[in-house]
Amino acid sequence: MTEISFSTRDVALSSGPLRVRSGGKGRPLVHLHSTAGPRETKVLEAMADHHLVHAPVMPGFDGTAKHASVTTIIGLADLVAGYISQECGGEADVMGESFGGWIGLWLAARHPALIGQLVLEAPAGLRRKELIAVPKDDAHLFSMRHAVPENAPKEANPETRKANRQAMQDYAQGVEFDEPLAGKLGDIKARTLVLMGSQDGIIPRDSGHILKAGIPQSHLTYIWGAAHAIEFDQPARASALILDFLDRGESFLVRQAAGAA
Amino acid sequence: MHFSFFHLMPWTDLPEAPTQWPARNAPFNPERGTELYDTYMSTMAHAEACGFDWVGANEHHFSPYSMMANCNLVGAAMTQRTKSIKLAMLGNLLPLLNPVRVAEEYAMLDVMSGGRLVAGFVRGIPHEYIAYNVSPDESRGRMREALNIILKAWTEPEPFGWEGEFYQYRAISIWPKPRQTPHPRILMSASNLESAQFVGEFPSMVGLTLVGDLDVARSIIDSFRESANAHGRNPSPEDILVGQQTCIADTDEEAEERMAEALAYFHGVLMRPQQDAQRIVIQKSRFFGQEGAGDYFMKRLQTLKGRTIKQQIEAGSILCGSPQTVVKQIKRLKQHLGTGHINMNMKLGTMPDSAVIHGMELFRDKVLPEVRAL
Repeated sequence: MTEISFSTRDVALSSGPLRVRSGGKGRPLVHLHSTAGPRETKVLEAMADHHLVHAPVMPGFDGTAKHASVTTIIGLADLVAGYISQECGGEADVMGESFGGWIGLWLAARHPALIGQLVLEAPAGLRRKELIAVPKDDAHLFSMRHAVPENAPKEANPETRKANRQAMQDYAQGVEFDEPLAGKLGDIKARTLVLMGSQDGIIPRDSGHILKAGIPQSHLTYIWGAAHAIEFDQPARASALILDFLDRGESFLVRQAAGAA
Repeated sequence: MHFSFFHLMPWTDLPEAPTQWPARNAPFNPERGTELYDTYMSTMAHAEACGFDWVGANEHHFSPYSMMANCNLVGAAMTQRTKSIKLAMLGNLLPLLNPVRVAEEYAMLDVMSGGRLVAGFVRGIPHEYIAYNVSPDESRGRMREALNIILKAWTEPEPFGWEGEFYQYRAISIWPKPRQTPHPRILMSASNLESAQFVGEFPSMVGLTLVGDLDVARSIIDSFRESANAHGRNPSPEDILVGQQTCIADTDEEAEERMAEALAYFHGVLMRPQQDAQRIVIQKSRFFGQEGAGDYFMKRLQTLKGRTIKQQIEAGSILCGSPQTVVKQIKRLKQHLGTGHINMNMKLGTMPDSAVIHGMELFRDKVLPEVRAL
């Protein structure tokens, strides 16, 4: 992996400024962060080896200002669509982690022409209430998120964590299972790779099944040794798979001989 | 209590022990092999008429010890020869095999038999890793990962891929799925505390074979129970299977004499070549992660080999005697180990097949009525 330098800038959109971290070169890839906010991960670095990665900070996260006209998940999806139209030449591949996956789903459903391929990492938004696990304590919650504790990132300061969580809750508006989204999955045209951690305690397996059954051209893959935070638990496994999918599309189903380009 | 009839399908015609592993196959006579398969499968099918709950088979490689390189083939034959007895594959050597293939073959057996499969998954004995050229160091990791793939292959409603340490699949969706839901009953073996802890992580029965000492066996079972409890399960006696080499005859003297002769061939000829290979694997790899487990494994076989029949009976290693004696021995096992299931291996070495059949019928007529309700 080569050393990639990311730079941060504010991009003016019609609804307000959007902070974006970007780096790498190649076909544009928009990375949508989780409730934890934007984080540096080995997966992101690996993506930037092959793609021009755009990692926008959703308004209201990490101390950024909210946009008055953007108040819902759909609103965020439309905002990212505006960004792709304006900054990515009108089409990009998209990957989203958890909360970011929820945004990515609406983005692909509402703006199919803007999306090349879609990668969803343990996406939120389709959790049936009866399947949501309730952690017994903080240690249990940690294990639901992280299968490899030594890979877990350093937590942001408590104020930022709290504000990020509040921002997510404001956009989600108490919804765990997004019925309108479930009804739109068939509209998604992008070939989609859904990644689920084999030990994920946050997103039930059922969510992956709904996505696999609902999105016409989709692939569901379990990442062994990962809980919810796939990018931290198993960065090498996740990166190799995502890059192969983005590079070869449906041909990624066919194993390549060692050393094949 | 429940009982299984287990068959190892030994090669009975070696005049002397092979000196090296793998045993050279020049002495194998295919016509004789055909006869033996026919006899053995008829004997196994007869277990149904003798009141056994399961008929069992397993997998071994490169040895006259067992002619069963793939027990699923025997299981398939049994689906057509039996009607109600459970078919226990005890089991596929999971770390050596393609887990998707195992999931598929077991699902086929379950559907073909009308939902009678007991799915055994075993790590195998050390020398099998030389046979299939898999690193023994990876055995536990492969076992855990493969088992998770199989459980998903049996239960996932949608096609899925798997990106793991040892296995990568881009799309899995097996046809058929198993008939039993959510999946067939699972059994895994444990010969030491480490493996007992491992088995307890899964919704599985535990199986112990070659018991050398009842107290050690009890500690392994306790370890399994402790691990299962920690994973939210409370195993019943039926979840604990104990394997016993078994000879039931009309009198104690006859049984002991037959057992002594059969075990002499079993230990002295059939088991001989693999001991060197096992020693190499144990010494040169991390097959056993727990300190002392490898030594225990090797000593256990030597200890059993060095004991008289009476000493083996006393140690709880074998069931041997008249029906009345075997009833007492079964009650003792139940009391000491809390087991609810005994797996009887009755075709030991050169034990005559007619004696095996007679022992099975003595079990049906005189043993089972006394122990079924235990």
